[in-house]
Amino acid sequence: MSSITAPSPAVDPDSPLIPASRSRRRTELTMLIFAFALVAFAFANVGYSLQGKLPASLAEYLGAFVVITVAGHLAVRRLAPWADPLLLPLAALLNGLGIVMTYRLAQQGNLLSAPLSSSATAIQVVYTAIGVGCFAAVLLLVREPRVLQRYTYTLGAIGLGLLALPALLPASISEVYGAKIQIRLGTFTVQPEEFAKLALAVSFAGYLVAKRDVLALAGRRVLGIDLPRARDLGPILVIWVASLLLLVFESDIGTSAVFMGLFVAMLYIATSRTSWLLLGFVMFVAGAYAASKLFSHVGERFQIWLHPFSGLNPSHNAYQLVQGLYGMASGGLLGKGLGGGQPYITPLVQSDLVFTAFGEELGLAGLMAILLIYGLIVQRGLRTAMSVKDPFSKLLAGGLSFMLALQVFVIVGGVTRLIPLTGITTPFLSQGGSSLVASWMLIALLIRISDSARRPPPRPIQEEGLTQVVTLQ
Amino acid sequence: MNRALRRISIAVLVMFLLLLININYLQGFEPASLATKPNNARAFEAQFQYQRGSIVTSDGVTIAESTPSSDIYKFQRKYPYGPEYAPVTGYDTLYSESGIEYYENSVLNGSNSSLTVRNFIDLLTGKPRKGANVTLTINSKAQNAAWSALQTQTGGKPGAVVALNPQTGAILAMASYPSYNPNVLATHNGKQLNAADQTLLREADNPLLDRAINFTWPPGSTFKIVTSSAYLTQNPDSTPQTSVNSPTQLTLPQTTHVLTNNDGEVCGTGSGQAPLITAFAQSCDTTFGSLGLTLGGSTLNNFAQFFGMNSKTLRIPMPVTPSNYVIPPSKALTAFSAIGQYSDTVTPLQEAMFAATVADGGKLMTPYLVKQVTASDLSTVETTSPAQLSQPVSPTVASDLGQMMLAVVQDSDGTANAYNTAAVGFTMAGKTGTAQNGVNNTGLNDAVFTCYAPYDNPQIAVGVIIQGGGYGATAAAPIAVQVIKAYLASLGK
Repeated sequence: MSSITAPSPAVDPDSPLIPASRSRRRTELTMLIFAFALVAFAFANVGYSLQGKLPASLAEYLGAFVVITVAGHLAVRRLAPWADPLLLPLAALLNGLGIVMTYRLAQQGNLLSAPLSSSATAIQVVYTAIGVGCFAAVLLLVREPRVLQRYTYTLGAIGLGLLALPALLPASISEVYGAKIQIRLGTFTVQPEEFAKLALAVSFAGYLVAKRDVLALAGRRVLGIDLPRARDLGPILVIWVASLLLLVFESDIGTSAVFMGLFVAMLYIATSRTSWLLLGFVMFVAGAYAASKLFSHVGERFQIWLHPFSGLNPSHNAYQLVQGLYGMASGGLLGKGLGGGQPYITPLVQSDLVFTAFGEELGLAGLMAILLIYGLIVQRGLRTAMSVKDPFSKLLAGGLSFMLALQVFVIVGGVTRLIPLTGITTPFLSQGGSSLVASWMLIALLIRISDSARRPPPRPIQEEGLTQVVTLQ
Repeated sequence: MNRALRRISIAVLVMFLLLLININYLQGFEPASLATKPNNARAFEAQFQYQRGSIVTSDGVTIAESTPSSDIYKFQRKYPYGPEYAPVTGYDTLYSESGIEYYENSVLNGSNSSLTVRNFIDLLTGKPRKGANVTLTINSKAQNAAWSALQTQTGGKPGAVVALNPQTGAILAMASYPSYNPNVLATHNGKQLNAADQTLLREADNPLLDRAINFTWPPGSTFKIVTSSAYLTQNPDSTPQTSVNSPTQLTLPQTTHVLTNNDGEVCGTGSGQAPLITAFAQSCDTTFGSLGLTLGGSTLNNFAQFFGMNSKTLRIPMPVTPSNYVIPPSKALTAFSAIGQYSDTVTPLQEAMFAATVADGGKLMTPYLVKQVTASDLSTVETTSPAQLSQPVSPTVASDLGQMMLAVVQDSDGTANAYNTAAVGFTMAGKTGTAQNGVNNTGLNDAVFTCYAPYDNPQIAVGVIIQGGGYGATAAAPIAVQVIKAYLASLGK
């Protein structure tokens, strides 16, 4: 199965013959208005449910949200006019629902679990502003996706540095709930791994585009599987070791799984060789299994997953998971309605377990809608990857989309007990700045790539006799 | 690269499908089992989110209700009659329930699947969700008479009363003394709750124990109803007038122990033979000890079981502690077991079931406490229909037993003659019991009485046990009389 896709003599499958001729910015705006309506409705719902009236701060929060996302829309209009019209509205809708949930959790708590601080909603709106600001900045600075390829090794070093930073810093400023994943600056905390993911995705794409031929072609065939040469295993081994170190020293299993998955998927997209997939998967499972035997905190995760209700687990180690499940169960098919449930009983419901809060209040129906929104973002991203011509952009778009999907899978699968629960954020929905800003930057990259994918070729100049001038960017 | 991307897309699709299937399973199929898991704070807090249904007696007296509250929860559970109905209602605390509050919890809090459609309609029409009301079979007049008699007439001795409708098995009264005030346990303050709970648990006379169904005492002579049933059934030619062996002293086989009657009295004329009805009315231990020797332990065991003893499965819906008959290992002990001593023990409910069987022509109806469940929109969710538990004796034998029990009360030398028709104003049939206990029978005798009335048209069967009360006729019977009087008055008869 190892081959470079042979160009068809008739049609180049990677570039449609007839480029999309409409920019579809108006579609984007219409969709954005739908998102506003949904968020406004959700806001009002919380107010009526908890106080019996519209929330006093509805106008401010909603107004700020609308202004911020419309600014994002204007940035797309100006900087990436041919971009996919659904990515921004879908991201905005999730972001808005996240703000509503933060507001809801700041309004109500009980004796054991206090509500979030009253400024939490305002802070989340500020983070949204920063996120959309960074989104615009990415569009402004990266006018053409290919320029990123120049910074393959710089970004790789930055990414690994960001990852390693919390592990190197003293626990007093980097540890949170047993995992060393943050940097505390006064009252604010930054989770560098969220940005490291983006830097490394770009770096992987650059590296793999450069090496794809040798990775794809050189090697031996054993038992029907094409095995790569030993020396080409270098990079995957480095990333494997890095992700295992991450797992062990920062107790951050979820992120390590996302990194490993991202790298293996990109390797597969670059080379089309199934052996990489198998190898990566086997290595990760073996590493995780060994870690679960060697390190108690990793082993505990498996115990919680397999036996959440036995012995002391429901009230101790598995308390958070179990309370999240109870929340979803109490929501049932249609949910308790926003403001009607008791999501605050679940510890850390605003960050890692926010999905269960939606499950409790919006029910199965709401959760399926949220999952489909994520699915749609990923689908638009993968579609972009398929339609863009430049291999680097293709690889980057595919990698970023898959990473988003994998992150959703790891956290949603974790809180619903499909796989062991590991603490990572739910993109756009979790309270907190780093994840939100990084997610917006990811969307910015996808929008940038989709813009270059959908942009019509320069129009030939019709006048006879004049030299045709083509601007190369 | 596009082929790989397509495969990645399929992988992503599979990942999302797995998530979707999993949440469908979790939220579509699992909620019921997760709701009963340990530590599910939402499940127990849910009961304070909605107004819990009331518990009312069959004659419309509310004995447990939830009223709007201004503290941390929206509703406060209240028990207007406190200890009187505590053995029936049980309690509903922050963390647990007991009694009807526990066994009817899912309808009271509205989570029962039979209420799902009504809840959904309430949701659509904007009506606040409310739990269903539970109507009990209890008659407030009978219950009140039982409770006040237990409180005032026994000198603070522990005891319990159960009254049944013999035709249906409906429990008309169920009182236990000492009792507790469930209101102190209904507090929303966890510390107060713990303190109250600790106080109740430390009290020596165990007020939390429902003595009506969860404590057993020796039945004493009331067990002679079972012995007589066995005798009359096994000897079809016999009648209450049949002459049976009634010595003044009965030497027990294989021992030198001599069984005598109370205070060494003679039985009947003292001839050594007496009609069964006379022996029964005078409660001659020698007669029934001798019948027990003839019948044997396993026959007595069979009849005891027909009457509901040794049953571990009886629920009203609260589980009833089994009343016990143990087949004695020796003949001497069989004689004792035939007069309600040895290892025989019964609940007050079992006592009422003895009389109810006789009153209902030998049929034993299953006792039950919940008459009906009514949704908040007043529609009936479920109604209990009376069910027969067993047929311990034939109608003929039942009628014979009825005559014998009538003699206990109406004959001039019957043990409960003080409560004859002239004295109490209605015709009662019954059997007294005075159970010896303690090491070498040095303890105070337990007073036992089982009866039904009116004799011609039985409306109510009552069982009473007063621990250490002395003679059944003096300590237990007057309480039964008051319960019957109150109940018959409430019926207008």
